[in-house]
Amino acid sequence: MEKSDLNLARDAVAGQAAAFETLVRRYQGTIRGLTRRLATRPVDADDLAQAAFMTAWRRLKSYRGGSFKAWLCTIAYREFLQARRRQKPEVTFEESAHVIAFDLSASRMADHLDLDRALKQLPENQRICVVLCVAAGLSHSEAARATGFPLGTVKSHVGRGVASLRQYLDAQGAA
Amino acid sequence: MQTDEQYDDLTTLFAAQDDVLQSDAFVESVMTGVNRRARWRVPFLFGAAGFGLGASLSQIGGLLDAVAARTPRIDVSVDTLQSAQLSFQASSIWIVGAVAVLASCVAVLVTERA
Repeated sequence: MEKSDLNLARDAVAGQAAAFETLVRRYQGTIRGLTRRLATRPVDADDLAQAAFMTAWRRLKSYRGGSFKAWLCTIAYREFLQARRRQKPEVTFEESAHVIAFDLSASRMADHLDLDRALKQLPENQRICVVLCVAAGLSHSEAARATGFPLGTVKSHVGRGVASLRQYLDAQGAA
Repeated sequence: MQTDEQYDDLTTLFAAQDDVLQSDAFVESVMTGVNRRARWRVPFLFGAAGFGLGASLSQIGGLLDAVAARTPRIDVSVDTLQSAQLSFQASSIWIVGAVAVLASCVAVLVTERA
């Protein structure tokens, strides 16, 4: 039987690095996906994800239960904000640098690129809320706590963002 | 009002993207940082703190006497009953020193827990 996140976190705090490794394996997809969708430069995304896990390791004692994924996503989101503050404004999105595993079929890769493009055309705050709630699976309340946006604003951003994503993907499908 | 169930189809698409982002190399790079940090951070921090404290104490003795002679003395007397009297005398430099050491320890502790 798989150990719960809380038990693994407790083991990790007690000094068992292997327990933390299990958590990294469990959530690397979510966190790397999140940072890839948030980062302006996809080449920086894994650095952000790594920084998020390092911060999580350092602050593991402050995790008191609840959704470990939401706690981790909040850390990753804050790493993204810090990186954005440091970033030069002239940096542009490099789609070619977006690393996608090689085992994807051509059609699935096309779907992924469509999703990426659809996300990219959202206003930033909408994109942040969609990434946290729709892609990472946080509840609206968890996303509100992570971002500091009011709950109503998060719901509104998610609603509009989802509608825009659907509209974009439908248009791509029809084309 | 938007509910979580209304975008399950999109969540599934994103989850499929995340599923392919499993990499042993990434886990290894995180764990290398974790192990390096775990092995050196605490001994280094407390070693440096201990060394600093020892060095300070070894140097401060002669200086304290000189400074203590020039500083006013604190004299606190508390009378609670006519028959009972508590008196406390200390050089204020010792109090300042103790507070400084305590504040440093608290700062290190808070930084470690942050």
